[in-house]
Amino acid sequence: MTEPILEVSDLVKHYPLTRGTVFRKQAGAVRAVDGVDLRLGRGETLGIVGESGCGKSTVAKMLVNLERPTAGSIRYKGEDITRLSGRALKAVRRNIQMVFQDPYTSLNPRMTVGDIIGEPYDIHPEVAPKGDRRRKVRELLDVVGLNPEYINRYPHQFSGGQRQRIGIARGLALRPEVIVADEPVSALDVSVQAQVVNLMDRLQSEFDLAYVFIAHDLSVVRHISDRVGVMYLGRIVETGTDTEIYDHPTHPYTQALLSAVPVPDPGAREHRERIILSGDVPSPTDIPSGCRFRTRCWKARERCALEVPALAVPATFAAAGGPAAHDSACHFAEERHVVPEGRHGGGPG
Amino acid sequence: MLLEVRDLHVEFHTRDGVAKAVNGVGYRVDEGETLAVLGESGSGKSVTAQAIMGILDVPPGRVTGGEVVFQGRDLLTLKEDERRRIRGAEMAMIFQDALSSLNPVLTVGDQLGEMFTVHRGMSRKQARAEAVELMDRVRIPAARERVGQYPHQFSGGMRQRIMIAMALALEPALIIADEPTTALDVTVQAQVMELLAELRREYRMGLVLITHDLGVVADVADRIAVMYAGRIVESAPVHDIYKAPAHPYTRGLLDSIPRLDRKGQELYAIKGLPPNLMSIPPGCAFHPRCPLARDVCRTDEPPLYQVSATRGSACHFWRECLDD
Repeated sequence: MTEPILEVSDLVKHYPLTRGTVFRKQAGAVRAVDGVDLRLGRGETLGIVGESGCGKSTVAKMLVNLERPTAGSIRYKGEDITRLSGRALKAVRRNIQMVFQDPYTSLNPRMTVGDIIGEPYDIHPEVAPKGDRRRKVRELLDVVGLNPEYINRYPHQFSGGQRQRIGIARGLALRPEVIVADEPVSALDVSVQAQVVNLMDRLQSEFDLAYVFIAHDLSVVRHISDRVGVMYLGRIVETGTDTEIYDHPTHPYTQALLSAVPVPDPGAREHRERIILSGDVPSPTDIPSGCRFRTRCWKARERCALEVPALAVPATFAAAGGPAAHDSACHFAEERHVVPEGRHGGGPG
Repeated sequence: MLLEVRDLHVEFHTRDGVAKAVNGVGYRVDEGETLAVLGESGSGKSVTAQAIMGILDVPPGRVTGGEVVFQGRDLLTLKEDERRRIRGAEMAMIFQDALSSLNPVLTVGDQLGEMFTVHRGMSRKQARAEAVELMDRVRIPAARERVGQYPHQFSGGMRQRIMIAMALALEPALIIADEPTTALDVTVQAQVMELLAELRREYRMGLVLITHDLGVVADVADRIAVMYAGRIVESAPVHDIYKAPAHPYTRGLLDSIPRLDRKGQELYAIKGLPPNLMSIPPGCAFHPRCPLARDVCRTDEPPLYQVSATRGSACHFWRECLDD
């Protein structure tokens, strides 16, 4: 991998739970993010997948400094941004921008599109001098595939897909190097989703952007990502290139997750192996000892309750190398094919 | 035949004009069959279901034409109290959002039991016992202890099981499930879909599954009806449609989803936006977005052409689409 532009180590976010009104005491904590390591290379896309409550959105908020981590560091070009404040923080924020999930609530309904996309320039006037802003906003509208004439319209005059383009244009306004996108296409219809995914692909090569792409849809993440991290209950359990994770998963949670995704091929129905997990995800206030997945894992043994498995290349695969040799936090990692081979065509080319 | 919808029309009268949500929908479901109704937002798939169930908001909604024949009777000609007796007992519905479909101030036991006290005239005690058994049947662990709990005390997947239990309570002949797993995580979705499929086999119910997810459809459906702008544009057995779609919209949908099993090139994207229901384009409603569109498409609305004994496509050029 190229020199990382963003490097996260041992990131932790705990939300304290208090009891009592006069004498407040801490009575435990929601361990939303509980030790996450990530590396993002320049111009690369890192996908983060996981189910609701796994902490992926909290990670996103910490990356753009909307939440302060409880512990750990986030290094942007070598500098720990969690310790910055004031002017230095502002300068870094310019380079790490966010695109939100819900195009209906993340745009101010009383502001015109021009004001929404131009607002970042109020905070960072050095990027665009006042007289130049309208022109820049028009350019941005054009870049994301909207008519520049729409500059004076309001968000409600646009469809969901168009609003998401507005959100992306706002994210691009300051010419950032990193964009953190939290479920950017999950509120959109299938046909519109493809348009926005293609747009993000195109912008990435045009502006040499690095993406942290957070989603629960495993197919979308595979499509857009160079590398993928799978999160469960506040930690990354497996990480590798898209081929390593999707075609050679070694962590039982990843395998269960992938096997649960419905595949648009009725022929796969009969001969597809489904791993149906029992029970629900444990509460992040009461995380199981040892491996946090063990309460739902069909392979769990005594060791899993005692020892926390490290996120590293499992010894069994380390020597042989190959695509199974990637980081997986499981004491009993095994390769297992769960994604059926693509059989019918689809998509041009 | 269990249910047949014929040439159904539904309109909504709003301040800004008349929105034509359903424009001549027809589909049928046989006993024990699963029909998937596939469409994007605004395609009319949920409104059709509401008209079948008789739970359309009237006004602003209004059924302006068509028939809904269920077990030999046209439901649209029945009186409201007759329809109410059918609802729940003969046909039931499962909604997307279990949290807002369940009453937050009643225990799940009371809500499940209500089905039996109201429709079957059981005592509260009997109804409670039935509720526990139902919860067992949809595999809610510790049903006896949890029957007295409130909806917020259950997880999303468990709440959806309670919705399913409620729909199953009186063993209806038909269940309509409107995006039953859309709000759930994939691993929970798999659990719920498997449960639904099992119960359907066991009770030999007909199932209308309304969804936008082409993966879910491929997993469970026998037949598919694809909707666009309030019409069925293609209807076919599930294997046929995935092998070779006979309508350019279906083809576009299939091509535009990213695949789990391989890294794709650029995704195919259907250009443009779904139509505004206040002003649906003349001719074929899909023509402004269609790669095959010609002059005739702008003027003549295509009928549902018979592609084979079991397939229909509302495209003037379905042969071309099929060969492509």
